[in-house]
Amino acid sequence: MKPKVLLDKVGLWSATVVASTALILGVAPMTAKAINVPTAVTEDGKNTYKKYCSPCHGEEGKGDGPLARSMLPKPRDFTRGAYKFRTTPSGSLPTDEDIFRTISYGVPNSTMIPWDILTEQQRASIIPVLKSFSEAFEVRKPEPPVNVGLEIRPSEKSLAEGKKIYEEKLECWKCHGVEGRGDGPSAAEQEDDFGFPIKPFDFTTGKFKGGNSDRDVYLRFTTGLNGTPMPSFAKELTDEQRWCLTHYVMSLIKPEETCK
Amino acid sequence: MKSLSFFIILFSFLGWNIVSSKDILAEKNYIEEEVTDGGNIVGSVKYMGDLAMLKLDLYGGWELTDTSKNASEKLIASRINNGLKYAVISITNIAKGKKRLIPKTHPIIDQQRSNFIPHVIAILAGTTIDILNGDEELHTVHTRTIKNQPFNLGTTYRQRISRKFDYPEIIKLSCDIHKHAYAWIVILDNPYFDITDRNGYFEICDIPAGTYKLNVWHEELGNIEKEVTVYPKKITNVGFVYSQN
Ligand code: HEC
Ligand code: HEC
Repeated sequence: MKPKVLLDKVGLWSATVVASTALILGVAPMTAKAINVPTAVTEDGKNTYKKYCSPCHGEEGKGDGPLARSMLPKPRDFTRGAYKFRTTPSGSLPTDEDIFRTISYGVPNSTMIPWDILTEQQRASIIPVLKSFSEAFEVRKPEPPVNVGLEIRPSEKSLAEGKKIYEEKLECWKCHGVEGRGDGPSAAEQEDDFGFPIKPFDFTTGKFKGGNSDRDVYLRFTTGLNGTPMPSFAKELTDEQRWCLTHYVMSLIKPEETCK
Repeated sequence: MKSLSFFIILFSFLGWNIVSSKDILAEKNYIEEEVTDGGNIVGSVKYMGDLAMLKLDLYGGWELTDTSKNASEKLIASRINNGLKYAVISITNIAKGKKRLIPKTHPIIDQQRSNFIPHVIAILAGTTIDILNGDEELHTVHTRTIKNQPFNLGTTYRQRISRKFDYPEIIKLSCDIHKHAYAWIVILDNPYFDITDRNGYFEICDIPAGTYKLNVWHEELGNIEKEVTVYPKKITNVGFVYSQN
């Protein structure tokens, strides 16, 4: 159909919808909401997975591809449905948007690169393939994303409050260390759900695996990282306290040291 | 026509095979009914290993001793009668029987002095458990399941977490800050189960007459299975023995 015929047929109203969708796409190219995730596994998805992902994640998604052998952290084993980077509560499956985000941004400090060489449609087509590897997606549904409270401005007071939570109330230092170097007393003995050793994140590097924004950090300790010892602190804090803790965690970043 | 009936017979045979091999997971097929003249199974589980090697019985006194911090509850047997504590006994192939009563009061697992108490708990699928932190320090409660939604939560003093477990499964609960601490949640699909007390005794009541498979599970010693026949209004005695190896 020619564009003109189309316009005639569906009228001006839908033309505005198309235009505004295009506008939203232009403003937020990375949100999967504008992306069309197929409901079932497609040939396209399978082929893209096989070509780009299976060398690490394995043909059947077990994280055992030929490149995985000597790699640490290991490529994710998708069979458990345990995804680290989510907006959903502890233990919940991720939303499609969460998975899309990880594929698009990659995981810093690991071999998982941002897959922006693939089109958005290709990235979206892989999502049902990943889900098909785990029976968890057959028996459970992702829970709704957690609520992110209205952000407060960082201040001396909020930092002091955050420090108190980090050091006394929630004792993050036991794993992450007092200065946030990932060297707390419990750090050495941590392993993930797959039995591989895992290090508590070193905040001083500032290269957060789940994204560098305040909101990302807020979400990480609110939802926890499934499949790892990093717990969710969903029930322990008010929204305001969460922002204080977020600001304190961000204040532990020491970029000048990590440049050396 | 002949070939059709042949196929029907073949398929019903195959179908029967599939069902019978999966009977442990047959929760969907359990039918509830009034059991008026059921029988009971009463018995004990013994461990005939080297008792000198055993760890302390943490429940010797009401107050926990400080050594509980590192003592393991992996294998607890009575020095008097070799009775094994924390073994879970269940009927694995029962198709119908008494109602599945989900307790309204949530069973509790408490983290005290960095240990989970109790160490093993057996529940019916659909039961909610409350997990408490009784210590003035941070604990985590971490499970790694696939069908029951897993979780890993940091908890502080007096926190109470309620979790419902829907699928039969044996779940290990652990704390990532106190690596020695863990507990087991054994989830069963029918109400015919019990857990041994500190002298190794158990009792399962109101079982419709019939012959059943009775299974014992213990975290260290594994499974033993026996066939047991239950008679109306009678008590059947059963003994299980784990030998040293
Ligand atoms: C060179 C190896 C490699 C390739 C190729 C690769 N990945 Fe990964 N991927 C990893 C590693 C390693 C991790 C784990 C990073 C971590 O946990 O720190 C990972 C993690 C992930 C995660 C987990 C996110 C979470 O929340 O836990 C997803 C989703 C994922 N990869 C998708 C993909 C997709 C889709 C492709 C193909 C387009 C792909 N990966 C290709 C190495 C790879
Ligand atoms: C039981 C140990 C443990 C405790 C306690 C703990 N963490 Fe973590 N945390 C970890 C581990 C391990 C990781 C790394 C997971 C990975 O690399 O995949 C992590 C990762 C993180 C991340 C994600 C960083 C990223 O790469 O995106 C944040 C944010 C975080 N922790 C914050 C906190 C805060 C805040 C607290 C206290 C409220 C806390 N953690 C307590 C073990 C712990």
